[in-house]
Amino acid sequence: MENKNQDPKIVAFVCNWCTYTGADLAGTSRLKYQPNVRMIKLPCTGRIDPVFIIKAFEKGADGVLVSGCHPGDCHYNAGNYHARRRWIMFHKLLDYLGIDESRLHFSWVSASEGKKFVDVVNAFTNKVKAKGPFKKYENINKEFVING
Amino acid sequence: MEEKIISKENLLKLCSDLLKNNVDIVTPGEKGYIKIKNESEISLNSKSKHTKASFKEYVFPKSEPIIYYKKNQSDVEIIEPKVEEKTTVIFGAKPCDVRSISILSKIFNWDYKDEFFNVRSRNTVLIGMMCEYADEFCFCTSVNLSPTSSDGSDVFLVPHDENTFGVKIVTEKGADLLKPYENYLSAGNSEKTKAIEASVKQPEKVFDAEKVRQWISGNFENDYWNSIGKMCLGCAQCAFVCPVCHCFDIVDEDYNYYEGRRMKNWDGCQFDMFTKHASGHNPRDDQSKRYRQRISHKFKYYPDKFEEILCTGCGRCSRGCPVTIDIKGIVTEINELAIK
Amino acid sequence: MDDIKTVAKELLTSGKVNAVIGYIRYGNDKRTKPFIAQKPEDVDKFVINNFILNNLAVYLTRKEVSKLGKVAVIAKGCDAKAITALIQENQIKKEDIHVIGINCNGVTKDFDIDFNSENIAGKCLNCDVRTPKLCDSLVGALADIPSGEDLKLKMIRGVEAKNAEERWDYFEDEFNKCIKCYACRQACPLCYCEQCIVDKSIPRWIESSATKRGNFSWNLIRAFHLAGRCIGCNECERACPMDIPLSLLNRKMAMIAKDEFNYDAGTDMNAPTLVGSYDLKDNEDFIE
Repeated sequence: MENKNQDPKIVAFVCNWCTYTGADLAGTSRLKYQPNVRMIKLPCTGRIDPVFIIKAFEKGADGVLVSGCHPGDCHYNAGNYHARRRWIMFHKLLDYLGIDESRLHFSWVSASEGKKFVDVVNAFTNKVKAKGPFKKYENINKEFVING
Repeated sequence: MEEKIISKENLLKLCSDLLKNNVDIVTPGEKGYIKIKNESEISLNSKSKHTKASFKEYVFPKSEPIIYYKKNQSDVEIIEPKVEEKTTVIFGAKPCDVRSISILSKIFNWDYKDEFFNVRSRNTVLIGMMCEYADEFCFCTSVNLSPTSSDGSDVFLVPHDENTFGVKIVTEKGADLLKPYENYLSAGNSEKTKAIEASVKQPEKVFDAEKVRQWISGNFENDYWNSIGKMCLGCAQCAFVCPVCHCFDIVDEDYNYYEGRRMKNWDGCQFDMFTKHASGHNPRDDQSKRYRQRISHKFKYYPDKFEEILCTGCGRCSRGCPVTIDIKGIVTEINELAIK
Repeated sequence: MDDIKTVAKELLTSGKVNAVIGYIRYGNDKRTKPFIAQKPEDVDKFVINNFILNNLAVYLTRKEVSKLGKVAVIAKGCDAKAITALIQENQIKKEDIHVIGINCNGVTKDFDIDFNSENIAGKCLNCDVRTPKLCDSLVGALADIPSGEDLKLKMIRGVEAKNAEERWDYFEDEFNKCIKCYACRQACPLCYCEQCIVDKSIPRWIESSATKRGNFSWNLIRAFHLAGRCIGCNECERACPMDIPLSLLNRKMAMIAKDEFNYDAGTDMNAPTLVGSYDLKDNEDFIE
């Protein structure tokens, strides 16, 4: 995947009940946000396997956004609590392995927080833009490419 | 076979010249066979222990692309990767390692000629060295090799003393490599080489490969296999460090929707997935069946087909096995069963 | 204290178990291998010394072994932790096994080396389970063990002190050595999945190629799947033919579990697992 500094690719894994609905609200409220985010809707943050995040980086994402219901709001009661515990371990592991933590962003966005969704996306997009392409991961992706 | 003598100093000069001439030199190092940058890294120690992995990787890489593809509107474009024609010298390998290339080339040139292997092996010059290391896992003598065997080497070194090496020029390829550096070599002393070779401690011959082959033929369902299958953990460490195990898997990997590659990766018969069919059925559904396959392939099927034992007796599989399943011990037991 | 042979023989002759998994000497005095004794006379070969490196808990979930019925297993303190974790995760039932705990006097890093302060395994240095917490019978006596330097901990501190870029480069180089033989997985008592995520091909989550990318993902996810579960027996690292320092990952994850949740894997078979449970007060200062 080609990446220009000003056009980072961001993958967002979001929960169906809160963040995705929040994004919907942003849309119906005619709020504008930067178009770099590709959203993938999942039933619950508990369904977001960390391997998804790794896959996104493998496929050339410069940043990954993970978002779901606020604690206590989970449609399935405890999915986000389980997810939170997993993220704690996972983001520390990534940091230990030297993956820039600022390329992975976690947030809680509820169905009524269309504005917050816009803010989160814009802030994260700007942060990733400033970082530029994810060179380290590009390097390991580059092994055995065509004519290379 | 022509015989020469080279001093250590000249040997290092030779390596340095080869490196200058853009030849890759691969030598046993502390952490396995390594590509050296400087001649001082060269291994001249005939008493060293076997490296954990063999140099198989340099002729048969652990992962390599065999096809690249690009999809466009209506068509698929196939790009075939070319293996670089670059001379590689494997320097100071033990006779058991060196022998692996000629064994492997039989399977890689049997019905389909594997160009990836052939280009690499054609460009590889094997400088073997007499081996003065033998532990309880070594059994080269039982598979018709020996610590002094130059079989498979292009050039074979026999250390006369710390600073002098007898040089046997075994093949034309070896002669061609050394030709430009003739002034480093002096007239040989084959008497001394013979005397030194005779003094090397040989691992004891523990089984008769032919008897083992016959026993395996008639004992497919023998209970003996179960006793090993229970202990084996089913990793493929043994196959991956083996100088002659050559099974591979082919997988497609994409870069994106339009482009991708087809990879050839090492595989091992001890994996449950190795024989699993798409239907879910697995003909080798039990570890004992998988271990039987390993032994049978090495000591029966391959000899049946190619008249060559698929084992060089290096003992790597056993040394590295997490649960110390010792192939030498197992084949020795089979030999005893065969005699009974 | 009873002798291992007496205990094992009694278990087999009385029919309490059908097999005993233990260690026998192999090759020389500084090497052992696992052995499954099914007849009382087989146990005469059993040994207990400083070279019983294997974690025999790995056999308990294997179908070739569970076929044998009720088995007894010899366990060092660390191995007993693995058994506890397996019970905790409902992989085995306490009543289906008999644990012969041993008072452990430390083991070496590898075979064929002397047992001394230099060669003692890192995990033995600050061991708090020299007498296993979980056992049905206990054999052997405790003796003083040599002290040594915990080199692996020093390495972890060394990695932590690097900046992110250096850490990446370090792990990229280490993972690059991987040949995907999966010895780490197979030697691990807690890697019992019927189908490993790396073997799943539809979709293919982790590439099976031993490329930089495939190796990075595999080693990362392996470490993550053992987060809060690894009991630190270090068998993966010993099994690795390429000498990848896997304990740097596993131990770090265990340290994170301890720091964040005060959780020690394999200590309580009735406790919920770390990632299978949650606390309303879990730290969330990294979530916006």
